Amino acid sequence: MSLVSSAHSRPPSQLFGGWEVGLLILFVLLYLVGAFVNPTFFGSTEAFHAVLRDTSRVAIIAVGMTFVIINKDLDLSVGSTYGLVAVVFARLYAPNFLDLGVVPSLLFCVLLGAVIGLTNGLLVTVLKVPAFIATLTTLLIGRGFVLALTHGQAIYYPGKAHETFFFHLGETNVFGFNNQIAIFIIVAVVGAYVLAYTRWGYETFATGGNEQAALYSGIPTRWVRTRGYLISSLCATLAGLLSAAQDKGVTPLYGVSGELTVIASVIIGGASILGGRGRVAGSCLGAGLVVLIDKVLREGWPITRVVKIGDEEVTVNAVFSLPVGAVPVFLGLLLIIAVLIEPYLIQRQVAARFWAWLRALPAPPAYEIGGIAIEGVQTKGTMASDRALTASGLGKFLARRDALAIILTVLLWLVGLFLRPDYWWNLSNSFAILLNYTEVALITIGLTYVLAVGDIDLSVGAVLALAGSTTAYFLKVVGADPAAAIMMGLLAGVAAGSINAVVTVGFKLPAFVATLGMFYVARGLAAWFVAGQQLTGWPESFNLLGRKIHDILLHFQLSLPPGWVRAVAEVVSVQTLWMLLVAAIAGIALGYTPFGQKVYATGGNLRAAAYAGINTNRVRFIALLFSAFCATMAGIVNVAYFRSFNPVAGQFRELDAIASVIIGGGSIFGGYGTIIGSLAGAAVITLVRALLQLNVQGFTMPQHWINVFIGVILIVAVLIDIWVRQANIFGALRERRARRKLIASESAHA
Amino acid sequence: MPDATEVAPIVEMRHIEKSFGAVRALRDVDLILYPGEILGLVGDNSAGKSTLMKILTGAYQRDSGEIMVAGRPVQFKSPHESRDVGIEMIYQDFALCGNMDVGQNIFLGRWPRKNMFVDRRRMYSEADRVLKRLKVDVNSVYQRVESLSGGRQQSVAIARAISFEPRVVILDEPTANLSVMATERLLETMLELKRHGVAQIIISHRLVDIFAVGDRVMVLKRGENVGDRYVKNTNEQEVLEIIVSGTRDSALTAKAARER
Repeated sequence: MSLVSSAHSRPPSQLFGGWEVGLLILFVLLYLVGAFVNPTFFGSTEAFHAVLRDTSRVAIIAVGMTFVIINKDLDLSVGSTYGLVAVVFARLYAPNFLDLGVVPSLLFCVLLGAVIGLTNGLLVTVLKVPAFIATLTTLLIGRGFVLALTHGQAIYYPGKAHETFFFHLGETNVFGFNNQIAIFIIVAVVGAYVLAYTRWGYETFATGGNEQAALYSGIPTRWVRTRGYLISSLCATLAGLLSAAQDKGVTPLYGVSGELTVIASVIIGGASILGGRGRVAGSCLGAGLVVLIDKVLREGWPITRVVKIGDEEVTVNAVFSLPVGAVPVFLGLLLIIAVLIEPYLIQRQVAARFWAWLRALPAPPAYEIGGIAIEGVQTKGTMASDRALTASGLGKFLARRDALAIILTVLLWLVGLFLRPDYWWNLSNSFAILLNYTEVALITIGLTYVLAVGDIDLSVGAVLALAGSTTAYFLKVVGADPAAAIMMGLLAGVAAGSINAVVTVGFKLPAFVATLGMFYVARGLAAWFVAGQQLTGWPESFNLLGRKIHDILLHFQLSLPPGWVRAVAEVVSVQTLWMLLVAAIAGIALGYTPFGQKVYATGGNLRAAAYAGINTNRVRFIALLFSAFCATMAGIVNVAYFRSFNPVAGQFRELDAIASVIIGGGSIFGGYGTIIGSLAGAAVITLVRALLQLNVQGFTMPQHWINVFIGVILIVAVLIDIWVRQANIFGALRERRARRKLIASESAHA
Repeated sequence: MPDATEVAPIVEMRHIEKSFGAVRALRDVDLILYPGEILGLVGDNSAGKSTLMKILTGAYQRDSGEIMVAGRPVQFKSPHESRDVGIEMIYQDFALCGNMDVGQNIFLGRWPRKNMFVDRRRMYSEADRVLKRLKVDVNSVYQRVESLSGGRQQSVAIARAISFEPRVVILDEPTANLSVMATERLLETMLELKRHGVAQIIISHRLVDIFAVGDRVMVLKRGENVGDRYVKNTNEQEVLEIIVSGTRDSALTAKAARER
């Protein structure tokens, strides 16, 4: 065999390619720009060293994330794993806490990282939870633990840290560079080698390219994917430990939105969010680029400002920097744009074609696009039997998809009554619950449509904040009248929804990536507008949007005579009525009009719906827009109710709303969900939150534990949807038992 | 079947050419179909069967050649336009929404409406009527499609096609996903359709099925007609030979083969 004879037929490098060269050039250019606008900071070698040092930690996680993304998975939990590991290490090691030795502390942290990775892997592979939902929940649970373990305080242990070798890892070595850089280089080289030249790497590419085909050819795809999560989680653990070694302490903010930085790095590095493509070298260079952008934005640039002191004008040197919380705007945008790079630039070989065009050469042949031999067979929900048709009475009720939500609502309310019989049922508590309910329910209505068409919107909480922030900004800073401010708020929210819809539908990207980008952009913008402050103090006429009916009548100097009408007016507030109106319209549209049928058809089988002449793009577009619109209304009402805007408004609301829809009968895979069910689901979530906040015999649960709890509920709801509603695991078990009984009785007869 | 010489053809495709870049997928292909006829379209992979059918439904545009439906020249720009003149295609994977019930699937995308709402009563009663006409047994029009077996899903897909009152039905590998029993039922359904005067084209790898219900079989090879036979005058052996070693020059029309 002398087929591979000429030197030209050397196989192409799997470690490095044209894209990486481009990234390297971009990195140098960007650094020069940084040095130009801010020479005092970027001009020094120290700064370059700092950039490399901080890149090291991000890039170590990016190496692990590369495996996950090539597997066609996603790991949103790395940021919180990084923080949690640093916090747990501090709790174990710090003299004022457990005061353990460095070796047991390290071992425990590595174990923790492995457990998180395994949990993610099991949830995604064995239990078949979509990756973004599973890891989003681990992210939020991890964050809750960080807050709970630190009580929101920083922990430092510089005194004890002198003793051991471990802490040298975070310091500059005798060669004059930080040890973290050396560790990063080791991790990157090993990672690149494993991915490009070993069986593990090849299995990863096969699994991400076509999981079905990989499985048929004997690759244990579940283990491959779980392994990806383990690698990613252990890399995050390593990075967390390095940060502990460097800072000899921890704050609860460690690793916040770290997942954004890491995922953006990997995607910019040329990996495809659709799986099967990516290189470790690219991811590392991407990490360098993202960290650099982050640094440039955070450090700001020097400007000269003219200040008037009395009659004299004085030029002052100042630094223009972004307000707190604004940096994620740019990183989120970067993520959205970066996701477009792979399908639209790399796969179409735009750079190579352009280069050929410049040299007047024929363009290189295009790759075959979209020619996958075996497409994954649609497997969702095919086992669910129609129990509703044959059952009667209670069975018929239990077969409803929203039965769970209705039963839970009643049960939870009774639990509340049992715990606090003195307080639970009285009017002021019911009113407070109803108000909390209104916000969740309003968002849930929009999200029901999105989940029914088979998409997801992770940005609802952030869009709520953006709309509230915009409205508050126009009321307070610009001094606009309420109507104009409301218009601007609506405009901002709907604009965010349009971007979600355009990226998802127009560019055909998974909705979770587009809305994840928007999650950071909208929240960053919301913080930016109000400069991280709480805004308050504007005309009361605006605040009427969040008042009780009776208060509104009083505002117009009307007073109701005492009686039941007044009693109702004193509890029901205008936003609740508004929510019910929106719910009624949305419910009728979804249940009884052709548009609602189109929504279900699109979510059930996109291709069949398109064959049947349904404009599925339009349906999905409208659903995403409507979801943002509902979140926007909730944001405006939120500002009116509190008479102020707080940048944390709407935090974790995406979690509440997704859980509500799924508890209420929606499916994370699309095609199901009703407004009535979702409203009942929202009631469950509201009651859970109210119960957890309940003061029972002097004990109240802290807020971060509540969020952990809601995260667990979300995962359980998704698991119930997948395994009980769709795979009908109980029915299968019953059948198996019945069959075994039959066999047993037959053998007894024989 | 009626004698071909007396009845006007329902579909006539003449001199169809289609290229994808450098690949010539179809070269001067002719196809003729009479009302109530069941035509089997066979050939190896990449013979151009699917391309020819996609050109007929308007999913692809032909490069040259002409198509006549009931004697009138047509130029479809999308499958919706071919549906308007009575050509329906049933896809291999049925293209149904599992989360919706039988009635909703039969009227997918064109649910009858009363004012701005879906007219549910009319939808279910008409769905029931279509299913009865097809003589298929689906327990209930309220049943979700995902809980039906493959054969029943196929029946729903056919019922959906029939509800458009088509003159031509194209079935793409209809038996590929079916059990033996379901295949038997499908073949009965096809004969039932034939009795209603609906012309059918089956794309299939299974010659057995075509010989069970078909009237005529047409063989494509590398984008060319290589033979056309009445089922009565041929056997599986001959058709297989044509598929494997037929050439354009040795091709005979069905009529020529009968008079041979």
